[in-house]
Amino acid sequence: MQALKFNSFICLRWSSQRLTSPIPVRLVALALVSQALPAAAAVKPESGFGLPHDVSQNGHLIDWLMNITHVFNIILFVIMCAWMAIAVVKHNRNYPAHYDHGSSKHSVTVALAISAVIFFIVDGNLFVNAISDLDKEFWNFDKVAADPKTVRLEINAHQWAWDARYAGPDGKFNTEDDIVTWNDIKVPLGTPIYVQLTATDVIHSFYLPNLRVKMDAVPGQINRMWFQAKELGEYDIGCAQHCGTHHYKMKAQLTVLPVDQYNQWQQLMSKNAQRGYDPDDKTAHWGWEWKEVY
Amino acid sequence: MDHAAHPVDVHPEPTTFIRKYIFSTDHKVIAKQFLFAGLVFLAVGGALAMMIRWQWAYPGTRVPVFGMFLHRSGGIITPATYQSIFTMHGLIMIFFAITPILIGCFGNFTIPLMIGAQDMAFPKLNMLSFWTFVLSLILITASFFVQLGTAAAGWTTYAPLSTNIGTPGLGQTLVVAAIFVTGAATIMGAINYVTTVIRLRAPGMTYMRMPLTVWGLWLTAILNVLFVPVLGAAALLLTLDRAFGTQFFIAGAAAVKGGGDPILFQHLFWIFGHPEVYILILPAWGIISDVIPFFARKPAYWYKGSVLAMVAITILSAVVYGHHMFVTGMNPLLGKGFMVLTLIISVPAEILFLNWLHTIWKGSNRLTSPMLFALGTVFVFGLGGLTGLYLGTIATDLYLHDTMWVVGHFHLTMAAAAFLGSFCGIYFWFPKMFGRQMHEGLAKAHFWTSAIFITLVFCGQLLAGFAGQQRRLYDPYQYTFLKHLLPLNQWTSYFAFALGFSQFLFVINFIRSLAVGEKAERNPWQIGTLEWTLCPSPPEHYNYSPIPTVYRGPHEFNNPELNKALGRDWVGQAEQLPPAMAPASAKPAAGGAKS
Repeated sequence: MQALKFNSFICLRWSSQRLTSPIPVRLVALALVSQALPAAAAVKPESGFGLPHDVSQNGHLIDWLMNITHVFNIILFVIMCAWMAIAVVKHNRNYPAHYDHGSSKHSVTVALAISAVIFFIVDGNLFVNAISDLDKEFWNFDKVAADPKTVRLEINAHQWAWDARYAGPDGKFNTEDDIVTWNDIKVPLGTPIYVQLTATDVIHSFYLPNLRVKMDAVPGQINRMWFQAKELGEYDIGCAQHCGTHHYKMKAQLTVLPVDQYNQWQQLMSKNAQRGYDPDDKTAHWGWEWKEVY
Repeated sequence: MDHAAHPVDVHPEPTTFIRKYIFSTDHKVIAKQFLFAGLVFLAVGGALAMMIRWQWAYPGTRVPVFGMFLHRSGGIITPATYQSIFTMHGLIMIFFAITPILIGCFGNFTIPLMIGAQDMAFPKLNMLSFWTFVLSLILITASFFVQLGTAAAGWTTYAPLSTNIGTPGLGQTLVVAAIFVTGAATIMGAINYVTTVIRLRAPGMTYMRMPLTVWGLWLTAILNVLFVPVLGAAALLLTLDRAFGTQFFIAGAAAVKGGGDPILFQHLFWIFGHPEVYILILPAWGIISDVIPFFARKPAYWYKGSVLAMVAITILSAVVYGHHMFVTGMNPLLGKGFMVLTLIISVPAEILFLNWLHTIWKGSNRLTSPMLFALGTVFVFGLGGLTGLYLGTIATDLYLHDTMWVVGHFHLTMAAAAFLGSFCGIYFWFPKMFGRQMHEGLAKAHFWTSAIFITLVFCGQLLAGFAGQQRRLYDPYQYTFLKHLLPLNQWTSYFAFALGFSQFLFVINFIRSLAVGEKAERNPWQIGTLEWTLCPSPPEHYNYSPIPTVYRGPHEFNNPELNKALGRDWVGQAEQLPPAMAPASAKPAAGGAKS
């Protein structure tokens, strides 16, 4: 076990690949592939214009809000363009200009009324829905904390990789049964995943395009976010904040597993983690004590 | 109004070449100096943009033409070079192209001329402002030639990436110093503009008779005076972190002990940075708010409403900066507060749009080149404004934050609108600045190519962002979910190259017109503001002697009674009409308070 000393992250990954045999055949195949190829080979590409495939339990709220705003915006923009086109064509240099300062009470009232109507419909819709979406879903951490199924995850971002830490069977972080992965986050289907994240060096941003959420990983501060996947499969995790030369390669893979497969994977990984645990390897113990409430 | 007529100390006109053209205190000469410097750096920033577009269309392949600057890597853009390219593209365009053209050039040229002053309030400070700006140009140019290359932390210069942890080397330090120095130059200019507008308006030039150009530039100057010092503070603290081992912005395992706060830098940066986007667009709004009525041959619709809307936006711009930081882990309540304030900006923006649209409605619209550029500005700013709604709202920003959607949005507002607005001003004032006419056909060709391609480029970016593409990726196709965007990004790049090439229409026109353009008459556009009615083209030293008296607002067109009496559709701001000819109708024109 001498080899474990120089870099625990790599060793844990190595052991995960060796110990996959009891996991069902599909996963074995995956693990074998991931030995030979970069992990992203398993992610399915998107096609066409528009949003990436939504696999989240609540992302449709964001999609709906964007799409309804598209409708309002297209209406407003078409009106503006038509207005300009008609004016320059019809009211051209041969048209006698209408002398009007537009400052009569009537003109001002009309202008203010149009602005108010647009504001209350378009901005009002955005505001009301955004507040409700945040309070009920995206920033509703009470709901996630109260759910007994919730999986907690600590993420440490650094140039240019994502380290993820699962608490293991004891439910406590920074202990010897913690599972630590590198650019590889596995989560159970239909389960809230409560993430707390920080960074070691510079600011990164944890971005799940297929789940419509992101959160900055900031050195010296622990941020939080949560998501819940509703479809099995493999998805890209990206870095959204410029973080240096290889920002474009700071990519990880999110794998959504059926709950029982996830549990099996957890058991194996945790056993392995305990075997490979080295109390002297300080850099491996980057986790922190989980705080539920801020 | 006693003080308003106060003339500047009249020195004799300089005769030596150096005092006349190099170290000049004449606001008109300084304006031209800013214009030339700005245009040169606009070309540099544009060239950098073309390199970014090449990289996204043909990742990792040899760059044509500009490849010669990349001889160390055999003409290809490396990841390290790439981050310098997009960083310097942003910084150069914002601080060394748009700022000198819109604020340095038009601020200097139009403010004294349009308010009836002989020069700026502090002509020597004005000269110092330009030469301080030149110092920052030297610093920024030098940064390209030092070891490890120039700055690479993005134009936002977020710490700790911008500290030695992320970008070691002299280049980033020189660039941070250049930002500090150019900030000092901006503040000197801004103090001058603010004071000049308050103190040196000609008699009768009340605030509500000022051209909207002057309003836009004045509000910009006020924002500059208030918020550029904050940027200066951030740049100074960052310099200390880089050069003297302090840890204001360094935290995490990278910090040896204790630790500062990376988010503090973002607060400082965006307290400046959000007003900055209005600093860049307010002058363009002002210019087009004047140019549209000038060529619609109609009074500006609800002049006072436009002024109030610009004032409201100026105030709001100072309290919405938090929308840049929704995903930094900001307190949810604070985030929601910033969201409300951000959305409120829609109201004054809608008033401005309605006023522009009402002005051209039932006008006698002449599609001259300045008018086309003004309407083009309205078009792209409309797109830019509407796409900003998604980013001011936290829920949708969770997905779109730091994607190409943001890039498309702020390019439509800050880049496309400021770009078209700048050219609106250049084509409009060129005859007055240089005494020659530009070629109208080339100008119109320049408009149509620029407006169409710039819209296509930034809409391509919006589409890529909607599909999820993050900003600032050297090779977006590393991500499986972005692989299918290669054709889209290639088309966007082709449009960008077409946009780049079409700028030669301007270069040719500009040089041709400077050299052999037709001599401009005093008032080729037939409008009533002071510089066109009272000054020859170009104006004489000290502009006005004696200082004129102003009787009405700047957009008095097609007043039925005056049309009959004068036989033309416009009347000068300082034109004194015999009492018999100036009935009650002359009065409402003063600020357009009533109609």
